[in-house]
Amino acid sequence: MSVNVAALVAVFLFTALMLAIFGTLYRGAVRSYERGELDFEGIRILRWGMAGQVAIYAVLALTAFFGWP
Amino acid sequence: MQPGPSTLPAEASVLAAQPSTLPPYSWTLLRWSFTIGVIPPVVLVAALALKSKFLLIFIHVITGGTWTGFDLFMGVVMSRVMRSLEIPARVEVAKRLTPTTFFMMPSFAATAVTAGIFLAILDGKFDLTSPWIIAALVVVVILTAQGFGIFMPNGVRIFIELAKRKPDTGLIARLNMRNISLAGVQALLQVLIILIMAHLALD
Repeated sequence: MSVNVAALVAVFLFTALMLAIFGTLYRGAVRSYERGELDFEGIRILRWGMAGQVAIYAVLALTAFFGWP
Repeated sequence: MQPGPSTLPAEASVLAAQPSTLPPYSWTLLRWSFTIGVIPPVVLVAALALKSKFLLIFIHVITGGTWTGFDLFMGVVMSRVMRSLEIPARVEVAKRLTPTTFFMMPSFAATAVTAGIFLAILDGKFDLTSPWIIAALVVVVILTAQGFGIFMPNGVRIFIELAKRKPDTGLIARLNMRNISLAGVQALLQVLIILIMAHLALD
């Protein structure tokens, strides 16, 4: 199986960038939760939002493994 | 691990007693967005697995067209509609629009760009010295930077604000309007990229 390294690296970079931005906002949300301003539902929806985005990027990463075109 | 408000100050305890404002339909809309959003990358994977240029062109055109069409609609139609609404009505739109587009739009954008690069490689047009390819990549980089730097953080901030016990409705309306106005800018850039694509298709 040939791997398109450039495509794989690009997907990883995009995922890392997304997680960095999302993580920063998530930390802010956790602080709001600890202050009692935010409901836990807010933390939960952020976690699922992050997981969903990672899942979509994981499917895109598969495109690097087909050796075509 | 669930962060716990074990030692909340008095004011926070009062806030904690208030119910969350996150509407129950947020989850339904978010699930719908994920269901639709996961389809384009799966079709792209199928196109590559089947070595089908037809499917590759199809997924590139449909995701690119939907992305452009959505941004044009948001920038040209929804921005005017939203400006005519009162703040509470804008917030109600934001509550529904943000979860519905949360997975779909990044997925359409990422799939359109990825499929486009594979198509350019397949047609022998992915030449990094070509001014047309460079122009296309520059536009894609700007669109991506706006997506990661503005659209997605604004969407997440709207979610956080909606889940607060005392949400700042003005902030929600402002963040949503910023996204809708930016969609207009994205639409202009996408019209530009379609002009570049039309040239590359004839090349």
